[in-house]
Amino acid sequence: MIPKMEIRGVSKTFHARGGTVAALEPCDLAVAAGEFVTVVGPSGCGKSTLMMIAAGLEAPSTGEILVDGKPAGPAGPRRTVVFQRFALFPSETVAENIAFGLRVAKVARAEIDQRVAEQLALMGLDRFRDAYPHELSGGMQQRVAIARALVVRPDILLMDEPFGALDAQTRTVLQEEVSRLQRELHYTVLFITHSVEEAVYLSDRVVVMSKGPGRIKREIAVPRDAEWRGFEIEESGTHASFMQTKREIWELIRAEIVRQ
Amino acid sequence: MSGATALSGGRRDSGIAAARQPALYGAAAIATLLFAWWLATAVPGLVPSRVLPSPLDVVARFAALIADPFSGATLFGHALVSLQRWGIGVLVAIGLGVPLGIALAWLPPLRAVVTPAFELLRYIPPFAWVPIAVLWFGASTTTQAVIVFIAAFPACIINTQLAVSGIDPILARAARTLGAGSATTLARVVLPVAAPTIFTGLRIAFSNGWMALVGAELVVGKQGLGFLISQGQINDSAATILVGMTTIGVLGTLIDIVLQRAQRLALPWRTDSVRPAE
Repeated sequence: MIPKMEIRGVSKTFHARGGTVAALEPCDLAVAAGEFVTVVGPSGCGKSTLMMIAAGLEAPSTGEILVDGKPAGPAGPRRTVVFQRFALFPSETVAENIAFGLRVAKVARAEIDQRVAEQLALMGLDRFRDAYPHELSGGMQQRVAIARALVVRPDILLMDEPFGALDAQTRTVLQEEVSRLQRELHYTVLFITHSVEEAVYLSDRVVVMSKGPGRIKREIAVPRDAEWRGFEIEESGTHASFMQTKREIWELIRAEIVRQ
Repeated sequence: MSGATALSGGRRDSGIAAARQPALYGAAAIATLLFAWWLATAVPGLVPSRVLPSPLDVVARFAALIADPFSGATLFGHALVSLQRWGIGVLVAIGLGVPLGIALAWLPPLRAVVTPAFELLRYIPPFAWVPIAVLWFGASTTTQAVIVFIAAFPACIINTQLAVSGIDPILARAARTLGAGSATTLARVVLPVAAPTIFTGLRIAFSNGWMALVGAELVVGKQGLGFLISQGQINDSAATILVGMTTIGVLGTLIDIVLQRAQRLALPWRTDSVRPAE
């Protein structure tokens, strides 16, 4: 079966003074339709660079990004991105932010209204539809960003450390919400994080990267029918299989950090 | 309408109630100033009226200047001429400065070409252009408008460029991933976000242009508020000078208030105050 998105032989080399620096060795990674894949790794392993290339926001030095087996081309609404710093448009209301991609695509007014209303309901944002981003908490802002990325029905949702800027409680709530959405609606997601627990909790598959230069070190499958699925994150963390997977991933990352 | 006072204001939430008390103090200060002025002229022999006429003399002179032409026009006539020259100058400055500022922020190669020449020209004060402007355009409205333009243009272009280049690039990236092209990104993301700083630039441009105009009118021309006060000096009429000065100050303040109001209406989503560049 052709994967929804494929990262094929993608590498990135930066030109620095007196030579070149390899940020990313050739990477191969395929995400199947309806699969939630998370990339974890120590800082500096190039996972954000990989994400920006996957989004089409940066050009790879070698390799290519395929969507449905065809070259993905420049950045666009088939691969929407949720950024760590929300990146909401400050001069637009919540509803206008969410409608942005649909208006750019010249979707009919009535359909825009209907789809925005759906997203508002899905993300629990009904009360905030006419609020401006600066009037919202970080958690609410990130919900808007997720809604804005989902409303255009992308082939794949790219999430670049989306909960990294949130406080611990808000992060937990959003992790559980994304997990619930994923179990119900089966989005195709490529997710970047440095939290091993978050990676295990959300993913079908965890990709561990190593650094200097960045490359994919190991892939670990997390069974979709694991007995802790559907529980809250704290509860899930007490299950033996969850701890086992988490420890396995953590050992791989620890080795990277110690290696320096 | 000095640079400092022109830039205050901007917070909405702190509200009108909180603003009322300072406004009262401000009014009291102006009243005190007027009283001190009156007192200085009321005590016999303290200040000769030729040096400083009393407030009442100035009011009388004000009424006379409204009713009867002086040096070619009534007070309204002079004010209208000044406003017209100023309006032409600032409109051209905005019309050229804002688009050019956007272009400079978005096109680094253009910036590299334009910036050095611009910086060099910027440090030639508006008044230093008066003689050459007179040579080129004569003692005309064009000359005055050119001086206004030269005074107003840098604030337009610099603040626009700063406003646009200061926008978090992540917003443009987000717009791109949602399918927006350059034009859409500019119109729907960049310009709205840049608008408050651009507005601040316009306010500075308006006041710079106004001040330069009055200066230029002192030196050249046959009408306008600056010309009026220079005629007051020639005719040894301190009251005429004071009427002209007050009119210049009041009109300048009104211009700024109108623009502040417009800014608040145009940018309802804006809460924090605006950081000026010049």
